[in-house]
This record gives sequence, C-alpha cells and structure tokens, in this order.
Amino acid sequence: MSEQAMQGFDPRWESPEAYILGVTQQIWEDRGIATLKRYYADDIVVRSPASVVVGNAGVIGATMATLAEFPDRQLLGEDVIWCTADGGGFLSSHRLISTATHRYAGAYGRASAARLRYRILADCHAVNNQIDDEWLVRDQGAIAHQLGVTARDHAAKLIHDEGGPEVCVKPFTPANDVAGPYHGTGNDNEWGQRLASILTRIAGADFTVIPAEYDRGASLHYPSGLDTEGHDGADQFWMGLHASFPGAVFRVGHVIGRSDPMMPPRASLRWSLDGVHSGWGRFGQPTGASVHVMGITHADFGPRGLRREFTLFDETAIWKQILLQTGEK
Amino acid sequence: MKGFSNRWTDLPDYILGITHEIWEERGLATLNHYYTPDIPMRFPEGVSIGNQRTINGTLATLAEFPDRELTGEDVIWSGTAEEGFLSSHRLLTMGTHTGGGYFGPPTGKRFVIRAIADCAAINDQINDEWLIRDTAGIVTQLGMDPKQFARDVIAREGGPEQCVRPFCPAEDVEGPYKGRGNDNEWGQRLSDILTRMMDKDFSVIRAEYDRAVQTEHPASTTVHSWADTEKLWMGLRSSFPNATFAIEHQIGREDPMLSPRAAVRWSLHGKHDGWGMFGQPTGADVYVMGFTHAEFGPYGLRREWTLFDHVSIWKQILMQQG
Repeated sequence: MSEQAMQGFDPRWESPEAYILGVTQQIWEDRGIATLKRYYADDIVVRSPASVVVGNAGVIGATMATLAEFPDRQLLGEDVIWCTADGGGFLSSHRLISTATHRYAGAYGRASAARLRYRILADCHAVNNQIDDEWLVRDQGAIAHQLGVTARDHAAKLIHDEGGPEVCVKPFTPANDVAGPYHGTGNDNEWGQRLASILTRIAGADFTVIPAEYDRGASLHYPSGLDTEGHDGADQFWMGLHASFPGAVFRVGHVIGRSDPMMPPRASLRWSLDGVHSGWGRFGQPTGASVHVMGITHADFGPRGLRREFTLFDETAIWKQILLQTGEK
Repeated sequence: MKGFSNRWTDLPDYILGITHEIWEERGLATLNHYYTPDIPMRFPEGVSIGNQRTINGTLATLAEFPDRELTGEDVIWSGTAEEGFLSSHRLLTMGTHTGGGYFGPPTGKRFVIRAIADCAAINDQINDEWLIRDTAGIVTQLGMDPKQFARDVIAREGGPEQCVRPFCPAEDVEGPYKGRGNDNEWGQRLSDILTRMMDKDFSVIRAEYDRAVQTEHPASTTVHSWADTEKLWMGLRSSFPNATFAIEHQIGREDPMLSPRAAVRWSLHGKHDGWGMFGQPTGADVYVMGFTHAEFGPYGLRREWTLFDHVSIWKQILMQQG
C-alpha cells in the first residue's frame, strides 16, 4: 500500500510518514522555506477555520512572518494517519505539537517571551511529490490563552486589526470553500468507522456512547489546550460543544482507520457542525449566530475501548463568526 | 488464572476489577480478602505492614477526598498464575479536598494525579506491594509547595527524630515476591535507556526517544520532545551525581492493540551533593524510589511516565539538616 501511495515521489521518501515528517522539518526547523515552491502546488487550497487561502505564494510569506515572531518554533510530529488516494498519492492526517517562544513582535502583538505549546491537525493531499489540497486546524484558542487573552477577545482583536467587520478575513464556511483536486472520503477500515460512529452518536445527543466506547482511563486532548481524562472529561467537553449548537447538522467529511506495526489501532476523522448558536454551552449566552465548526479528531483504541483522543477545532474562529453576526466588540 | 476467582479473565481484569471494588464501590472490607494479613507495602513515605493498616489508610484517604476515583491507564505485567504475577498498574487518581487529613485543612480544591503500583498477586490475593503517588502533584494542585509541605510534615510528626522515616533499604522488610520481571526486549531497552542516563550519557535521549515524545514526570509535569525531557532527568541526576542507580524490577510486553511497552522500577541511593532540582547541595543521604513506564513506536520511545516522590526526597534532606 505504501509503495502504491509513493509512486511519483522522490525516492528519498520511503513512505507517506517519512514524506510528511521530512517535508515539515525541512520547511520549518531546517529553514528550507523556499522548498514550499516545490512541495506546495502553485494553486493549492488551504482551508483552516480562520480562512481559505489559494496558492503557495501566501504560504511562504506567512511562514516567514511566523518564524520572525517565533524563531525557535518546533513542529513535533506525533502521528501520521494516512490512506491511499484515488488517482495516486495519499491523504495524510498529521498530528503535531508545536512549541515556540514569542520572542519578537508580530501578528500576536508585542513580544511577550511567552512559551507556547499547542497542537495542530493537518489533512494534506500529496501526489507526485507535492501537496495540492489541505485542511488545517490549529489550536488558536490555546495560543490565545497562553498569551493571556480569551479566545473571544482574541477574535474581537482580529476583527479590529483586520479593519473591522466589513473587510476582515472571513472564517471558513461551506459558502466560501474552494474546490481542490482531492475528492476522496478516506478508507473503510473498521477503526475509522468506529470513531465515526462514536462522534455521530454524541452529535445525536446519545451520550451513553461515552461510557460504552471510551476506556475509563482515556487521555483526552481538547481545544484551547485542555488535557483531561476519562468518561467525565469526554462527556463535559462534547456536552459543552453540542449544547451551544443543539440543532446543528453534524457531518463526517473524511475518515481513515489504520492498524500499523508497533502502534495501537487508530483513526482520523474530519467533521463539521453547521447550525445556529441557540443554546447555552461552551460559547455562553445564545446569540442566534449561524456557525460552521471545522473539526478533526484523532483516536487510539485499546483493549478497553477508545484510549486516547485528540480533538481540535478553532475556538477563536467560532467566536469570530459569532461576533461578526452580533456586532459585539 | 489458576488459583484466582473465575470471575477474572486475566491479570489486568483482576487488577482493574479489585481496584474498582475497593475504591469506587467502597468495598474496603474486601481488602480482608484481596490483601494478605501481613502484606508489606513500601511507599517513598515509609513502610506499612498488613492489610488492616491498608484498610485504615484507605478509609482516611476517603474521609479526606470522599469523591476520590481511580481510573486505570495501563497494567504491565509479568509472571504466571502458578508462580505469581507482578502487575505494574499505572492509574490516575482524582478527587476533591473536602475533608481534613494528611494534606491539612480542607481546601475545596480538585486534584488529578498519577500513581503507579507494583503488586505481586497469587491465589486471588495481593501479597507484596510497592506504590508511588505523585504527592508533589497533589500538594501543588492544593496550592502548597512540596518543600514546605515536607517541612510541615516533619514538624507535625514530632520533629526530625520522631517523624515517620521515609523508605530506604534499612527500613525495608522482606516480602514473599522475589521475582525480577521478565526478559522481554522492550523492558531491557527501557532499562538500558535509564542506565545510560544515570551513567550521564544523556545523548541516549536523542538516540532512543521519538522527537515528539510526551514525557510525564512528578509534580504533575508534562513536557514534549528531547530538550525538556533531558532537563528533567538531568535535574534529578545532578542533585545526586554520585548516587548508585539500580534496576529493581523490569517488565516488557507486546500485547494486541497496544504499542510495545515497558515498566521498570528503579532506585537511586546516595548523597545530595550536587546542584539540581533539589537546590543547594546538603550532603544528605537520600534514597529515591522510582518507576518508569514507556510506550515505544516506530521512531523510538514515544511516551514516558516517571514517578518519584519529591516530598519524601525533601523530607530526607530536611530531616538530616535538622
């Protein structure tokens, strides 16, 4: 399967994992920012909860801006969960933990010397040695908290800094999506199906699935840098999200399951939630705003159920959608 | 599971099951059955003999933290039903400090810490035990400082002469379990890593750990990658640079649905004669009981959990300073 996925790639990369981990290190830690011209397609579509960006030119500038502000940034690859793509290449769901010191002034304000640690989940389609389609969720809420502001206030600041509600960068929604070359939906491995079933049942308000399917001692890693554990931890997190958007439509966008040597069975799921902020929950008083949540979840399974979960959405992008519609500052 | 009740399918099932019965179902009295009358329990804080003291200790903990829960993260084990098992059980323990007790007047604060218990089990009973709780993690989460807490414990227990003596080989008692674990390669690999670090060959971290390693250390400390992991181990070793390091027990396992993993119990015994995580050198004689659990992946050691007890180390240092 790996040989099939790696056809058309530089032979130095022996597998999708080696390619994804290697290219990331070359670009960031090794400062080969120019290699983005080779590794990112000219018309790549990068969707993050904060925006939709087309083309690799902007990515190079953004990478330099980040490194100017956080020169010691490290990107540590925790896992690469992948499947083969129709038409060649593969879809990689890459989980990273990033560390960085806020050493110089930049998009995040004056230098604060704050030490940051946050996760990223990036789904990339790679074919012929190049990434040409991407979905990226960075834990902006964790960054905001570690810099001493709430996700809501960070969103308000972004709207202001970007020139106000009319001209600011619009968060990602299906309405401003741009079609890219990848149209796959993953593979049909049982562990992917199992994770899809768990998150779908939770979204359908069937919270009994948590004690039934999660290990009692599960380690859980959630947006805004929350590390928690067990049935209560999962229940409180997912309850808080769905309570804010009680009638929202949950969709599974992409699902991968894998069983690899030396690794537990694991899964990656990209999902979305579309609906109205009509309930009390994680996002406070209901505002009636229409919200799109882009989420990615990674899970490890063990003998007693789901043993580790990593779920990310961008809390600041959700607040930005709410504030843009309520007009609050 | 010969000799064990037929309700238990395997050793992890037994360990997780009786832990749940004793704590969450409040079956303290089941300790009369599950723990032998003369069981030695060794904690960094000291040695306790017999199941009646265990029952009383459990009761005191529940009085202090009535909502206390224990959730098992892993059971890494060796041995057989006939010769006896050794289970190295890593768990999370959480609760709210609503009663007074060992940790002082109630603070109303919640804590979540990790503990590792090595238990010898045979004939449906636990008959030997070594247990480390992240006491420094509790103390910190309740808003106190581990060094000051150790000082207060000494005073409360009647001063350096009268206070409860932390565990050291002189305080140890012989128990029925004589095993040293198994010879699985992953246990050996973890022992080699720890031994090289304690031989001050810290390059082993970059050679053997995954770059994205998640490392969990005492005092509720979580770090990622090489540099911060190195810092934690160097901080310990540099406080006791000439101490003797020993591997006490070693298990490796490969089980379905889990990464290859290992459990090692180790000790570090010698003088507090260097600058490190325990401040200015005092020359005190210190015994460190330690546990390390690890999971390995395709790029090396991927997750590490280490426990030793800062509070008992401070207690030994402060007792000898007078």
